[in-house]
This record gives sequence, structure tokens and C-alpha cells, in this order.
Amino acid sequence: MPVVEVNNRNVHIQQMNMDAPETVLLVHGMFSNLSVYYFHIAPILARHFHVVMYDLKSHGRSERIASGYDLNSMTDDLSGLLDHLDLSAVHLAGYSFGGLISLKMAARFPEKIKKLAVIEAPDPNDDKTRDIIDDYSREFLEHYVENFTDTTKMKMGKRQMERNHRMYEYLFHETSIKNDMLLERDFFNTPEIDQIPRDTLLLYGKDSNCLSAGKKLKDRIERAEMIAINGDHNIPIQEPASIANRLETFFRN
Amino acid sequence: MDTVVSAAKLNSNEIFDLMKQFITEVIGEEFVEEMDITLESSFTKDLEMDSIEIVSFSEKIKIHFGEKIDFTGWLSGMDIDQLISLNLGMIVNFIEECQ
Repeated sequence: MPVVEVNNRNVHIQQMNMDAPETVLLVHGMFSNLSVYYFHIAPILARHFHVVMYDLKSHGRSERIASGYDLNSMTDDLSGLLDHLDLSAVHLAGYSFGGLISLKMAARFPEKIKKLAVIEAPDPNDDKTRDIIDDYSREFLEHYVENFTDTTKMKMGKRQMERNHRMYEYLFHETSIKNDMLLERDFFNTPEIDQIPRDTLLLYGKDSNCLSAGKKLKDRIERAEMIAINGDHNIPIQEPASIANRLETFFRN
Repeated sequence: MDTVVSAAKLNSNEIFDLMKQFITEVIGEEFVEEMDITLESSFTKDLEMDSIEIVSFSEKIKIHFGEKIDFTGWLSGMDIDQLISLNLGMIVNFIEECQ
């Protein structure tokens, strides 16, 4: 398993087509892992690009850590990963929480980002986003697994349910993720969003409850275009080829 | 560091044993002990492998066989329903044909 050490922690990464001249880096969402891209989105991008995927801290096969889930820390991790891989500037795409990390990355380190794609990033000030963090329970987990995870169509067996339950329990009760996210509630209203200096593609599901967040970003980011894709918050699972082709076209032109 | 191990051509029984070894390494011996892994075992339903475990499994195949077996490329051509119905026998056949 390819593991690199970034900021004193082990990070699981996967790469495709390492000989390509330009790199696309993909950031997954909360409670998910790099596999959301690995099978259906990354191979399409890898026809032309070097593709890098990584597991966020305490997710997938990356090392657990109790603190540092605020967007500054998450982008410190990402910046450190780019340095470790000797990548001076990349195209960046992030989904959901990974979309927030990507926005923050383009705001903080524009010199490291060529073009930015944001898929279904929620407004951290939206009640629905906060409710997910506030109303955690076993019932919520089952509902969440049914409706919001990247394993939507795969019914979970006992081992998977227990494993995911342990991850949720760990993230919610033994890490600072809940408080760190609450502290980010004003992120969409900060000037740094207006000042993102890169071409930005916003991909949102037509039926997503995050669609209004996309429209808000479209109004705020000067060089942004927005495309609505058939589906809801789960568009990377529902329409992976469409997402990959949109990203490929955007990053190539 | 992971290294590519050059493998002699394996027959289907040897491939099956190797796949069982990879599955054990990915999901852990304590879970495998409770399972009867056969050629009919489906990855998602019977073995309860999730997508990040299938990534690890794919990587083991890549490391063992090298570029001649494009397992990830093969999986990427499947839609989610095909992935759900994927069983060990299909994988053994795929590897045997590609060798």
C-alpha cells in the first residue's frame, strides 16, 4: 500500500499515469475515501493526466489523528502532500467536504493550483450540513449509509456496518471534527471566497440539497462556471462518467 | 517499498489460492476464518468487501502481476451493478486469460 509521511502522519495515496506532464489531484468527502474516484472517475482523467488521490486523515487507509479538521489544517496537509510529491502546481478537484478543502486551498495557495473544480461542496452555514454533525445517532448512521455515502447501492453487511459505525464513532467522539466544522460556518461569507483567482468549475446535482450552495459560489467567484448534473448529492456515484468527462474537458482547455 | 514480483504462469487453482491470500491480507484473518471462500463468492455480498478494500486488493494484483494484468482497468469498465455481482471465479478467469 503506497503510504507517504506528511506532517508526521501516514497518508495513503494512489496514483495513475505518473508519466503525464500535468497532474489532477482529487479530494474525497467526509466519511468517504479515495475509492469514490478510483474505479470510474480517475481512469478517465488518467487518459491525459497524472492523477493523484489520497485518503484524508482518519479516513480510508490513512492514519487516525484526533485533531486538525479545520480547513487550514486540512489544506496544510494537502500542501504538504504536494511538496512531498514534488508537484509545484496541479489541477484540483474536491467533492463535498473535499470541495471545501479545495476552495480553501485555491484561496490560500493559488500558486499551487492551476484550475479548480468543486463538486457538491455544501455551505457550512446551512442547517442541513450542521444537522448531520449535530444529530448523529445509530439511526442517523443507517439513514446516512442508505442515502449519502458513496456505497449507496451496495447494501452493507454486518462487518461493513460495524466498521463504518466505528469510524463515525471515532470521528465524532474522539476527534475535533465536529467543533472544527462548526468553526467554519462562515466560510462562504469570507472575502477569500470572492478572491479565488482561478478558473473554477462548479458541479452540482440538479436534485441536490446543496444546489443553492453552488449558486452562491457561482455568484461569489469571479471566474466560475456552474453545471448542474442529473442526480443529487451523490453525483460522483450516480454519474461518474459525466463528472469525469466534464472535469477532463475543463482541465484540458 | 512495494516491488513487482515476476510470476510464472499460474493455473486457475493457483490463482484462486493467491486471490484467497490477498483477500485474507486485505480484510483480516479473523473475518476470513468465518467465511467459506469459493469461486462463487461475490466480493460485495459474500465477502462484504467495500470499495477501499477492493482498491487494496487491486493494488496487490498490480504489484504481483505487473502491468500485464490491468485489473483496475477491467473493473473500471463495469457499472455498479456489475461490480456488485462480481465474484471470485470471474476474477480468476480474467487473470488466467490475461497471463
